[in-house]
Amino acid sequence: MLNEAKEVCPTTTLRMSRGGALLVDVRERDEIDGLAFDVPELAVIPMSEFERRCAELPRDRDLVMVCRVGERSLKATYFLMYQGYTRVANMEGGIAKWARKGFPVKGNASAAIASAATGCCGGAAPAKSTGGESTSVAGENCCAPHPKPARACC
Amino acid sequence: MDIKVLGTGCANCRTTIALIEQVAQAKGVSVNLQKVEELRAIMSYGVMLTPGVVIDGKVVHAGGVPGRDKIEQWLVAKQT
Repeated sequence: MLNEAKEVCPTTTLRMSRGGALLVDVRERDEIDGLAFDVPELAVIPMSEFERRCAELPRDRDLVMVCRVGERSLKATYFLMYQGYTRVANMEGGIAKWARKGFPVKGNASAAIASAATGCCGGAAPAKSTGGESTSVAGENCCAPHPKPARACC
Repeated sequence: MDIKVLGTGCANCRTTIALIEQVAQAKGVSVNLQKVEELRAIMSYGVMLTPGVVIDGKVVHAGGVPGRDKIEQWLVAKQT
């Protein structure tokens, strides 16, 4: 049995991204065309291609898997763990939570914000499109990494 | 014979379980059939597409409902 996947919140993800981690978006291209993460480095490997292409991902740097709400990316995280990757984490809440916290995105964040489930970080400012942030990273610790029950549809 | 059906509870997973039960009964083969629904447990077999089928610890199928003929082959092969 695999170990529990490491899960990180958007705040930690943003910090990791700025520290050199690679975000890996597993959403399909039409989803990304509508709304994308605006981070220093992003790899796009949709779930429909993931099994075939996951070997493209480096093993020697931190990876944070992301999707719309964090379920597909959790599956991808486990698949990488199965393949022997050790520096991989899942971002819980997906781009919906990321956008709701006001973290940088490209595109229209309103739909993602509307679909965001309630979480521990309510009250965050709405996302800005393309560049800039409206929420400080420092001092936020409400979303410490934690394991959680994992379910996803097939 | 231990058979595990990997899937998070969708209709295809339920159909797969029912189909294996039917075929096993029709063939008179005794099977120990288990559902594996937790994502971490499913992914521990490296299966990205569900339903997956594991027989005696080996993944024999992943993605979509297996055909009746395929299930018959598995059961017969394990009997011989």
